[in-house]
Amino acid sequence: MNKSVRFGIAAAALTLSLQVLSLVPAFAQDAELSQIAVVTPGSKTNQGWDQQAADALMAVAEANGLEGVVAENGGYDDITPLLKDLGAGGANLIICHASGYQTVCPEFAAESGIPVAVIENEAAIAEGLVSDIETQAQEVAYLAGMLAAMSTKTGTVGVVVSGEPPTWNFMTVGFAEGVKAANPDAKLLYSVIGEAAYDDAAGAKRVTEQQIAANADVIFGMGDGASFGMLQAIEDHNAANPDSQVHFIDVIGDKEAEHGDALLTSVLFDYSGIYQQMVDDLKAGTFGKQYTMDVKNGGVRLLDLPDDAAQEIKDALEKAEKEIVDGTITVSAVGDAEGLKAKLAELFPQ
Amino acid sequence: MNTSGIDIAAFITAMLAAGFVAAVPLLLASLGEAVAEKSGSLNLGIEGMMLAGAFFGFLAAYSTGSAVWGTLAGIGTGVVAGLLFAFLTVTLQVDQTLVGIAITILGAGLTAFLYRDIFGRENPSADVALWHVHIPLVQDIPVIGPAVSGQPVLFYVAYLLVPVFAFLLNRTRFGLEVRAVGEHPFAADASGVNVARVRYIAMIIAGGMAGFAGAYLSVTDLRLFQVGMTVGLGFIGLAIAMVGAWNPYRIAITAVAFGLLRSLGNGLQILGVDIRTEFITMLPYIGIMVALVLLAGRTALPSALGVPYVRGRR
Repeated sequence: MNKSVRFGIAAAALTLSLQVLSLVPAFAQDAELSQIAVVTPGSKTNQGWDQQAADALMAVAEANGLEGVVAENGGYDDITPLLKDLGAGGANLIICHASGYQTVCPEFAAESGIPVAVIENEAAIAEGLVSDIETQAQEVAYLAGMLAAMSTKTGTVGVVVSGEPPTWNFMTVGFAEGVKAANPDAKLLYSVIGEAAYDDAAGAKRVTEQQIAANADVIFGMGDGASFGMLQAIEDHNAANPDSQVHFIDVIGDKEAEHGDALLTSVLFDYSGIYQQMVDDLKAGTFGKQYTMDVKNGGVRLLDLPDDAAQEIKDALEKAEKEIVDGTITVSAVGDAEGLKAKLAELFPQ
Repeated sequence: MNTSGIDIAAFITAMLAAGFVAAVPLLLASLGEAVAEKSGSLNLGIEGMMLAGAFFGFLAAYSTGSAVWGTLAGIGTGVVAGLLFAFLTVTLQVDQTLVGIAITILGAGLTAFLYRDIFGRENPSADVALWHVHIPLVQDIPVIGPAVSGQPVLFYVAYLLVPVFAFLLNRTRFGLEVRAVGEHPFAADASGVNVARVRYIAMIIAGGMAGFAGAYLSVTDLRLFQVGMTVGLGFIGLAIAMVGAWNPYRIAITAVAFGLLRSLGNGLQILGVDIRTEFITMLPYIGIMVALVLLAGRTALPSALGVPYVRGRR
């Protein structure tokens, strides 16, 4: 075979390969939607970040006659093998439910042509392939901060987090601004249990005990599984000290049934609205955009306040919520840890 | 640093108490690990054994309402896991590293599956009564007294096991056999010591202590189970056994130092000390690494650590 023939065959093969590759995303989007999946870093029953996504996905799958798959405990390392398994299993949409999956999932989508949704990564958006989920939970956290500042008797409130991912940071800043707005003299304590200490219930208990010893009587806890350790510390303290009760503000899930006595409220996340929107967009061929959960669309909201909450507090929160929706109150959106520290130092100088 | 509104004495007491309590599971696990390593077994399954002890301990405590049964179940689970490790590594001569990793993965997977299967979407607490011990005179010592006194009885049991293990390893025939088997199994065998029997017993002790450590977390400390709740404590226990040079007293000091460094880190954050959070949360781990580096060359690993013993083969 002479040189020119070999060159021709090689060029044809290359052209064919490129055409096939360019068709992959279109094929994936046109394929009949039959299965949607979510990868969660932790347990799907942790009454927090992971469970809310798993529950919402299954509800949306059922409502649309689709098969729903929850791949839980994905951890925080490279989940490429897991994504490949889901793809091989027939998933037409994979929701990568951790900010730690921001890079690996778009890479997988580009390689496989299977659409994915990522958390807090606007830059990754790609038409037909990658959508981004933004949780503007800082607005509801602002309301939680107001509630904490108006409920504290010691004048000290605490924030305990199991890491510093963007979602936690957004809420911490919102909470701090809410505290400052409702009670400029209040003191705020901030503690990180550890790097990705989402399951460290024992560590969370210890940190919370130390915050209580430092006078905090309202704790805003963001922990997933670690939240149960925070609640344990508060419930133990309350049992031993009936005259100096400490309250807990939770995030994402609803622990009222099991821990109602210690719970003041919770910043609830409801993903079902945006998951439904994703399914609709996939069917319409308009997938590849940003989906935002905020106060206005009900994607995030406060759990109903306890019956004995003062009317003054309820009125103040209702007013603030309206002002957030109409734009009178603007809550800072700070997702990075450095920005968070700077904001806390500005609001609560030492 | 902002100390306004904080009762410093009460704050330091809470910090000390948090450190002493955090040290307990590490202490229990590393005491057992010391016996295993001294006998020549590197138990990398310690994390899985702790997790299994935490799960079955919690399950028993939840079912019976008894912390005693919960703790015994945790210890029993660890013993079974230790026997499995010994059977695979001593009798079947499978590589210790592989078996250890397999047991850790098995412990994580099995407990996650069973917890989900049994409790579904619930995350219940075990309603158990804990006997807290108030030590006369000690409890009246300012600052440190309330941190040491008034803890659950197993807290004191854990610290009392330190001299017990020191006696076991250094003052008994069994301790001598453990050390001999870990250093020179051929010589020990030649002098009539049953190497397999000693390694089996050492692994039963190590497994039981790892299970005890897990059950302490889930039954005494938290009264609940969480998937993956040991978060690497077993591996830290393994490092502590080495840093402590397999000496129970040094192990106790290292475990307490680790716990106190961790609570000091928490305390510094609460006081708003202007140091990066990442550095503060790394403090105890940096401490362990520094200790390992400083001790490098000063402590010799047991000569037969990780080496299977086959009679007649050198």
